[in-house]
Amino acid sequence: MTDVFNCKILIVDDEPELRGMVSGILHREGFVKIVSAADCKEARRLFAREKPDAVILDVSLPDGDGFLLMREFRAASAVPVLFLSARDEDEDRLLGLGLGADDYMTKPFLPRELTLRLCAVLSRAYFPVVLRRSEKPVFRLGETQIDFNSGTVVTKTDRFTLTAKEFALLERLYVNRGNIVTGDSLCRAAWGDDLYGYENTLMVHMRRLREKIEPEPSLPRYLITVRGLGYKLTGVDGE
Amino acid sequence: MKSAMKILTRYVLSAAGVALVLLVVNFAAFVAWAVLSGKVAQKDYHISQLADGLTESNGIYTLSESARDTIKQRYQWAMLLNENGSVIWSENLPDDLPLVYSVSDVAGFTRWYLKGYPVNVWQHSDGLLVLGNAKDSMWKYSLEYSQTFMDSALMWIPAILIFNGIVAVLLALLFGLRLFHSLAPLAKGIEDMAKKRPVALTPRGLLGDLADGINQTSAQLTRQEADLSRRDNARAAWISGVSHDIRTPLSIVMGHASQLEDDPELPLSKREQAGVIRRRSEQIKTLVNDLNLASKLEYDMQPVQRNLIALAALLRQVAADFINGGLPESDSIDVIINDGAQNARITGDEQLLRRAISNLITNSIRHNPSGCSVRVTLENGTGNCSISVSDNGIGFTKEQLVDLNRSTSSAMLENHGIGLTIVRQIVRAHGGTAVFRNLAEGGCSVVLCLPVGAVDDR
Repeated sequence: MTDVFNCKILIVDDEPELRGMVSGILHREGFVKIVSAADCKEARRLFAREKPDAVILDVSLPDGDGFLLMREFRAASAVPVLFLSARDEDEDRLLGLGLGADDYMTKPFLPRELTLRLCAVLSRAYFPVVLRRSEKPVFRLGETQIDFNSGTVVTKTDRFTLTAKEFALLERLYVNRGNIVTGDSLCRAAWGDDLYGYENTLMVHMRRLREKIEPEPSLPRYLITVRGLGYKLTGVDGE
Repeated sequence: MKSAMKILTRYVLSAAGVALVLLVVNFAAFVAWAVLSGKVAQKDYHISQLADGLTESNGIYTLSESARDTIKQRYQWAMLLNENGSVIWSENLPDDLPLVYSVSDVAGFTRWYLKGYPVNVWQHSDGLLVLGNAKDSMWKYSLEYSQTFMDSALMWIPAILIFNGIVAVLLALLFGLRLFHSLAPLAKGIEDMAKKRPVALTPRGLLGDLADGINQTSAQLTRQEADLSRRDNARAAWISGVSHDIRTPLSIVMGHASQLEDDPELPLSKREQAGVIRRRSEQIKTLVNDLNLASKLEYDMQPVQRNLIALAALLRQVAADFINGGLPESDSIDVIINDGAQNARITGDEQLLRRAISNLITNSIRHNPSGCSVRVTLENGTGNCSISVSDNGIGFTKEQLVDLNRSTSSAMLENHGIGLTIVRQIVRAHGGTAVFRNLAEGGCSVVLCLPVGAVDDR
């Protein structure tokens, strides 16, 4: 198996139109081996015969309970299971995840979300982190290049090393690039606490960070202050 | 229990009081009666008058007319004894009485009876005047007490009163305790009933009827409670079922619409139409979720988490999420944390509170399509925190304000979407208040006042 799209997917749902639609979505996305079942009985038979790599499972089935079916499957193999249920009660969600489901989605859902989640589940299961490129991002802010692997900032004229706190702050901003990150969220990343009591500390650290990544720290272009809320990293390129 | 104890104390005191008052009244009445009737019995006035009315002239005694009448009226007979004990005058004298009396005879009847006739005597200038009453018409008794006994009366009368008082209190206590014992289970039953626990008292003794009544009332209440909660459960389950059933068909609509929207083979106009279907389906999804949440909150079926929440951080996050989610250019959101509120924390459900604030901001944005600026303010009070969400838009209509501020009904608001209903329900679940008003300078303001302490534990 070289990529997730070679995985065989078993869809279990009692609604034929939904089954058809989901397999259509997966097909279009690039999955080629798709089987589907309408009830527990058929699902068991297909599971034994086809040995799917992942199961998309409804919770309420005409002849049984998706949760129980998952336990049966799990007794036989460690196949990843993604629940697709019309029940959105927190208890159901927690029960499903607590029983070891890899993900729990509620209907109605967007096709894109389903495929993204399914791919995530599959790559977690079959393409573990060690096999993937473990490189951290390297990106540019204008003329400045930031490398999270070495924790360095290289400008036209200089080369800085990020401190641990600066690294944590910049990483949180980078992950949410283009979006406002609240001061509380930044403080949680760096100090594990809300903003209260860290206002000045955060300001000092952001100033130092600006001195490293901004060409003109007093007129920030990339690391923008959003008054009253937090900060935003913009103008990221080099992805 | 406390009230039963109070009842017992009151009962004992009042019973003792009643007993004492009765004792005093009776004693006083007895003394007064004894004194008065003694006076009557001695008939000082009449007998002396009689003696005065008996005059002698030439050895013949004549009784005044009025005295004679009096004798006739009041006494059966009268006689006058001379110094030797012989009858020298008489009136109506019965035949069975002798006409001569010895000293010992006189001594005998002076204070008592003469042959069964109760008599009174009076000193007359010529001897002893004796007045006799009809047989069995008087009861005579002479009192004799030692002087020391009468002298110490001031001691023993209060002593008797005190003794009586103590006995009265003890008796009242005894009976009161019995009453208390039979009242205690009733009091406990009423207490239980108030706490909605089923009550089954044994209907026995004096208060059996009362116990029966309490049992019946409790049974009635329990039944009503069960009916109500069954109805509430049914309603919530129904809504939850409907929303569950809508999800699957909606998935299919949304899925296909979304696929059509992304289909490069379709012309742009068709894809845009599919996009509209997809967006509207998502709106229905939100509505279904809201309806479900509202019905669960309404019937207290939504589990409310209790965590310590930093409100300032929560408000900043909500605002940041709105801006990050793509706020229209014409709208703006400002978060203002007042001094002293930076570290405001309350115990509550973060998800629900986030939902309440989001709903208010969404409401402002949705009802002001031409744009508005929303201001979210956090203030710290004593024992509570207030979060206000205000805008400079069109504000609420009069009917909406009346509806929104009505404290009793939290059922679906007539003139508004479900979003504000949920806000009210969430605030209520946190034991707080929500006040909706319009601002003089235009726009509206919603103030949520939340207690710092634990969530209302219903």
